[in-house]
Amino acid sequence: MVKVYVNNNEVEVSQDALVIDAVEKAGYEVPTLCYLKGLFNEATCRICVVKVNGKVVPSCRFPVFEGARIIVDDSELRRLRRVNLELLLATHEIKCWSCVRKGMCELLSLSKRLGVEGIPVCSECPLRGRSCLVLKGFPCLGPLTVAGCDAECPRRGSPCIGCRGYIMSEDVWVRALEEFYKDNVSLNELKSLISFFWSYLPQNLYRLVREVSNVEY
Amino acid sequence: MSEALELGSGTRKISELIVRVPLASCTLAAGASKVLESIEKALGKLGLEARVKKTGCMGLCYLDPWIELESRGLPPTIYANVKPEQAEGIIRRYVEGDLSGALAVRSEASGFKGVPTLNSLPEWRLQVRYVSRNCGFIDPESIEDYLRTGGYSGLKKALKLGREEVIEIVRKSGLRGRGGAGFPTWYKWRVAYEQRSDVKYVICNGDEGDPGAFMNRLLAESDPHRVLEGLIIAGYAIGASRGYIFVRAEKPLMADRLEVAVRQARDYGFLGEKILGTDFSFDVEVYRSAGAFVCGEETALIAAIEGRSRPRQRPPYPATSGLWGKPTVINNVETLAHVATIFQTGLDEFTKYGTERSKGTKMFCVTGSVRKTGVYEVPIGTKIRTLVYELAGGPPDGRSVKAVQVGGPSGGCIPADLLDLELDYETLQSYGAIMGSGGLVVIDNTNCMVDVAKYFITFTLAESCGKCLPCRVGVKVLGDILEKVASGTATLEDLELLRELGESIMRSSLCALGGTAPNPVLSTLRYFKNEYEEHVVMRRCPAKVCSRLVTYEIDPARCRGCGQCAKNCPVSAISGQPGKAFKIDTSRCTKCGQCLIICPFGAVVKG
Repeated sequence: MVKVYVNNNEVEVSQDALVIDAVEKAGYEVPTLCYLKGLFNEATCRICVVKVNGKVVPSCRFPVFEGARIIVDDSELRRLRRVNLELLLATHEIKCWSCVRKGMCELLSLSKRLGVEGIPVCSECPLRGRSCLVLKGFPCLGPLTVAGCDAECPRRGSPCIGCRGYIMSEDVWVRALEEFYKDNVSLNELKSLISFFWSYLPQNLYRLVREVSNVEY
Repeated sequence: MSEALELGSGTRKISELIVRVPLASCTLAAGASKVLESIEKALGKLGLEARVKKTGCMGLCYLDPWIELESRGLPPTIYANVKPEQAEGIIRRYVEGDLSGALAVRSEASGFKGVPTLNSLPEWRLQVRYVSRNCGFIDPESIEDYLRTGGYSGLKKALKLGREEVIEIVRKSGLRGRGGAGFPTWYKWRVAYEQRSDVKYVICNGDEGDPGAFMNRLLAESDPHRVLEGLIIAGYAIGASRGYIFVRAEKPLMADRLEVAVRQARDYGFLGEKILGTDFSFDVEVYRSAGAFVCGEETALIAAIEGRSRPRQRPPYPATSGLWGKPTVINNVETLAHVATIFQTGLDEFTKYGTERSKGTKMFCVTGSVRKTGVYEVPIGTKIRTLVYELAGGPPDGRSVKAVQVGGPSGGCIPADLLDLELDYETLQSYGAIMGSGGLVVIDNTNCMVDVAKYFITFTLAESCGKCLPCRVGVKVLGDILEKVASGTATLEDLELLRELGESIMRSSLCALGGTAPNPVLSTLRYFKNEYEEHVVMRRCPAKVCSRLVTYEIDPARCRGCGQCAKNCPVSAISGQPGKAFKIDTSRCTKCGQCLIICPFGAVVKG
């Protein structure tokens, strides 16, 4: 057995334990993504980083040693986790409306937990057996509305009108607009749809909508 | 070094000649094989008996291909930049005692017939050829040559000592890893020595992949036995039974020469069962890597030998659990050559060079915008200015040094006003660069620092193995933002994002590749922030390199209307009538720069 200190709390764990085991034993929780206990600990996602004696290490892979001082959470660690999650989302197509997991996945729950923005409302609309309104052809604004309302409306069958405001990312808009035009939503229809924030759209998104609509109509 | 004088004890003819022709990858690329052919032809034509020795390279790349002639009564003389057709004339004149056209004579006495001595050249005088002492003198494919220069005497000395004593000598020498991080060599050995295991391994890391670094290749091609001797000593010290030399597949000659060296060492009993009558048995295999930059990282290197390809999280460190889970010591080519030389020459010869914390010498490759590109071995603690201006001759006329990129894609830029920094591990680290393997790329005022950062990020992006998230995606995002800066669409927040993201990647990456990848961006951002800001705010590239921010125009006062530009424009963006000034249609121009190269009157200007 070795003694380690998790956030200054003394814990005893076995010699071949990992840092994450010690942290869990001390009653704290580390967000993880790629770590599957006993199955996979290649430390690739770098979300579970903690500080051991001041050094940033992945807790799912790092072995404990006598007297290790582990810090589970501080401003730098929170920043590192957020940046890594944002990087993951930057290359991830957040098309929750056509994803088989229907917005109920580790990635999105983790982003919600860490407060990473740029996730559409449809990710939090677990459909409870009904199919997605966008896919049904309804002009639902879920894909380009900022998440955080737990999306009651689309679940009840009423298309989202975007009352939480729009997502700033251009990529998300491009993908969402493509999806709308595939379902033959006309420009006028779209304009009235996003009338909620049409006049407050920043230049780049405004231009984007014009450009996309001009090409199509 | 005057072999002719030693050998020629009156029984040989006065005219007996020794011709040394360097055959290494670099000189072969410069045409040494053709020079060799023409020398052999010329010798036949002149009826001279001569020994043609194929040596390694001296490291003075700007002289390639050079040859050295040696004969009784005449000093060994070096001729630089020899063309095949010149060979005959040079040899005829030399035999007649006429040294005109020679670069230098290799003798202690002052100039011979107006030809300077090699030691009077600054690029030679300021060097301390410690580990590279044999490079360019001996035949790398002959073990006898190496033995004649004291080769394997270090191994013999080491084998007479106990293992702990060997490690103690390396500890006293203060030798630190020459591959980049500067980790104390003895410490790795000590840890591996203390492990209880029936099988241990030593690996020589010859996977040198930095753009602008080739000292390991030069050393192993010109003096492979020195590397091998160091590896055997390391194997003895930790009690290993087997060694590997990991060589990039892109450096076939290096691998070939090392294989020849291993064969010869086996024949002479320096490898194999019961080496030199002791009970130490050791054998070495040359392993050709598939050639990925990340394989230079020690855990990735081990994985590559095992047949996989990616780095893994440390600990456990290789010294406790490395190749096939056994204790493994991994040392750089140059480190091992240093070990062999320390045991050959004794400690004092090594420790008299260097600084308090880092002893000895280090080979640096100086490339980029300098007159005398080459590999220079200098004591650690030499100023960057000495290396760039005195040894490498400074930038060509009309240009000035803007920055020096130290340590390749993992290193950082040191700006021109910090050139008086001393090259040692700690100093460089505190200024945002690393020693790395020792590549110095000199960047002059015609280069744009955003472009330089973009170049290195593109390199690491291509070489990232993609295992961990920060390196795989983060470096890509860094590249995207740099692209935005270079095309003038970035905002000032993007610069802040660059810095923050870079620091995050460095803190949370899995291996040293990701941990150092943002260095070029962060260091250029630190020292050349105004240049970045000029791209962002003024939408202008001060060095006129970033093509999206440059416009091409024709100066009507200078244009004679020859129409060459219009003829060669790939997108027909130039129009006009013969005899009158032409015009570039900026909306169609793709900024390829063809017109600038072609215009005979210098009328095309970048704006």
